[in-house]
Amino acid sequence: MKKILYTLSLCSVLTMTGCGLDNRDEPESTIRGRVVYDGEPVGVRGTGEAVQLQLFQDGYELRNPVPVYVTQDGSFEIKIFDGEYKLVTRNNNGPWVNDRDTTVVRLQGMANVDIEVTPLFTLSNVALSLSGGSLSASFQVDQVTQGWDIDYATIVVGRTLFVDDVSYTARRDLRDIDTGVLTTELLDLTENADFKNGRALYARVGLRAAGKDQSIYSQVIKIR
Amino acid sequence: MKTTYKSIFRIILLVCSMAHLQSCSDFLERQPDQILTDDQIFGDKVMIRSVLANFYGRVTWGQHIGDWYSFTVLDEAGKSDQGPDNMQNFGNSHWRVSNYELIRNFNQFLKGLRASTVLSESEKQEYEGEVRFLRAWTYFNMCRGLGGMPIVGDEVFEYMSGMDVGTLQYPRATEAEMYDYIIAECEAAALMLPASTNTNAARANRWVAVMLQARSAIYAGSLANYNNKMTSPIRTSGGEVGIPANLASTYYEKALKAAQEVINTSPYSLQMTKPDDLERNFYEALSVKTNNTEVIWARDHGYPGEGQQVNFTTMNIPGSHAEDIDRAAAGPILNLVEDFEYVDNRNGDIKIRDEQGNFVFYDDPLDAFANKDARLGGSVILPNALFRGTAVEIQAGHKVWNNGTWQTVTSTPGERDNAGRIITSANGPNRSNEQFINKSGFFFRKFLDETPGASTRGRNSDMWYPRFRFAEAVLIAAEAAMELGQQSIALGYINQVRDRAGIQHLTAISIDDIIQERRVEFAFENHRYWDLKRFRRAHIIWNGVVNSTTAQHWALFPYLVVAPGTPNDGKYVFDRLTFSNSLHPRFFELRNYYNFIDLGWQNANPKIVLNPFQ
Repeated sequence: MKKILYTLSLCSVLTMTGCGLDNRDEPESTIRGRVVYDGEPVGVRGTGEAVQLQLFQDGYELRNPVPVYVTQDGSFEIKIFDGEYKLVTRNNNGPWVNDRDTTVVRLQGMANVDIEVTPLFTLSNVALSLSGGSLSASFQVDQVTQGWDIDYATIVVGRTLFVDDVSYTARRDLRDIDTGVLTTELLDLTENADFKNGRALYARVGLRAAGKDQSIYSQVIKIR
Repeated sequence: MKTTYKSIFRIILLVCSMAHLQSCSDFLERQPDQILTDDQIFGDKVMIRSVLANFYGRVTWGQHIGDWYSFTVLDEAGKSDQGPDNMQNFGNSHWRVSNYELIRNFNQFLKGLRASTVLSESEKQEYEGEVRFLRAWTYFNMCRGLGGMPIVGDEVFEYMSGMDVGTLQYPRATEAEMYDYIIAECEAAALMLPASTNTNAARANRWVAVMLQARSAIYAGSLANYNNKMTSPIRTSGGEVGIPANLASTYYEKALKAAQEVINTSPYSLQMTKPDDLERNFYEALSVKTNNTEVIWARDHGYPGEGQQVNFTTMNIPGSHAEDIDRAAAGPILNLVEDFEYVDNRNGDIKIRDEQGNFVFYDDPLDAFANKDARLGGSVILPNALFRGTAVEIQAGHKVWNNGTWQTVTSTPGERDNAGRIITSANGPNRSNEQFINKSGFFFRKFLDETPGASTRGRNSDMWYPRFRFAEAVLIAAEAAMELGQQSIALGYINQVRDRAGIQHLTAISIDDIIQERRVEFAFENHRYWDLKRFRRAHIIWNGVVNSTTAQHWALFPYLVVAPGTPNDGKYVFDRLTFSNSLHPRFFELRNYYNFIDLGWQNANPKIVLNPFQ
């Protein structure tokens, strides 16, 4: 009986010491930041890994970037090892002028980085409110970069904080948007199932420049 | 005593070692039967042919009948087997082809073939033409997904330890160079290949090479044209992606010339064997191999022969006609059905409601599709149409007239009401996630095999899958002539195809007419995806908007009218519904115009530059 116990305890000691030594520690340091224009974060699509930055590190044989996902309020965060990194926006990705300038990040424990971008258009004075069965949206579009046309503006309503041109329950696309003036439009929700069953609803407006892969968005507002 | 022991020991040792040495010798002398040397292959005619046959089995990519699911990812059909289809975006490596192992094998073959002494010069020519065509076809499939990729010529790379790997690393060719190379290789191959047809159009002949020449030129022309008409054209600074606009007309001229060569001098034609039954005629032109004059090159399947059959018919046959447990895995969707025009009306919408919003009543569900383009009935099994001589019942349920409103009644598939009328047909459609029940209201007809036993798991079907056919030559000629401003020539060609479909002639032609004609003529033939890419329309048509008419999948449900005492009792009405098994509209983003380069390729070869959006 004692022999069995000894054997068992020996076995368990062996298995317990078997792991651990050859594994690396998980990364503990954090790069946190925002994509900003004029000190304000730029709202983007936050689902589907749509908007990414790329993190490179020199000094190694292979140069594959680590993708950094930008969430819908324009912020990003990544856990990684200490070291010196280069942070760039992904080629042709995002509602801003394609600019692959490098931001150097020296990471020791924690780093805050703001990536400056130049959007093609901005959205300002955004007001979203629910009255009766329709959502009233007003916003102003301003052109920041010359040479681009507006494809469409869009009012999107979703059931969660994640609301964009892919995840939404109601959507209205507006064409022929004028810049520099306030646009006010309604989105009828009376036929919408999620509106009728009383769920919480979130909304924001977006603007797509013709020929760009992503829209710029206002910040998400809880409308109910 | 001591010496005796010693000598006994010695004798034993001697005997043992002798026995040991003998037993080994035979084993080590055997020839390997899995690995063959170049001499063994290229010294034997039969071996050379079997290597060639192996190549033909390795050149099928994209949409094809060996993969029924591939028909559901675009806007042609929807998945009906069990759970819903969660697809929303197109992957960065969707239908991506990069097979340099195959390219290397082609080049090994060419090297061995040229040195071979067992073949006559003319046989060598034919084989060389065939392999160079297959190599061009492989590059073509790479190029339409990825843009320009390294062109390695006839090189067979060998790595030896200690050598400089830099000499093995080739940079990407430009997209234009890639198409030029494919066109030049096809021109060379066409001169070596025989002009005669072969069994089931399974092997490359001269016309196959000329067709690839035409197709590559029209792709390159339309890329040069439409990419540069985008608000921000998709290109890389080195031209690996993006063809300069000024090259468009040269490519269009090449495409027109090659297509006309096939139209005017090849042994093929727009097959017209049943002028009285254009639907049947179209089906037979695509899906019947005997006496076929339409198909120029196909991926053939054969029966008998182990592993040479395809299960497309087994998986997709209507339940009422199934011969095995499998059935109804996918069905064409309304988006495609409505894109087929009427004989005298270019708007192909099915008339299901009148101007007041009331149902339109039909005596037979098939009447709703009367006067449609004959290619519809030849490509899709419509409700109550015949397959193998018997009607395919497709009925979602009853519409019951109840106190002034229409009530929809459905049942478990195959159930009857008290009067003995079927409610929901055993075939479907319904909106559940049940297996083996149709969800769209239509079944495939194109490539569905009518041979008895072709839908059993044990036999499967020997249906082929055409890659090039005569109608493509005609439509390439129409497109190229239209782009070159030769309206009357373009109209002459496109109207030939429309004649065979029994629909009215066009009097003017634009790019939209070309897109529309190719959509219905080549449904399920691995053209739609590549066409919308090269015309730069994919992101507009598959825009990801919920309930959009083009990006969302739609279904058409037929109902039997139950309204006793009214004239409409026993007639049929239709509902247009979203296709319940495709949860999301199709969403093609700008990044999808070119596949992403695998970062592993770049690690192995730093000269590879990445694609835009990567």
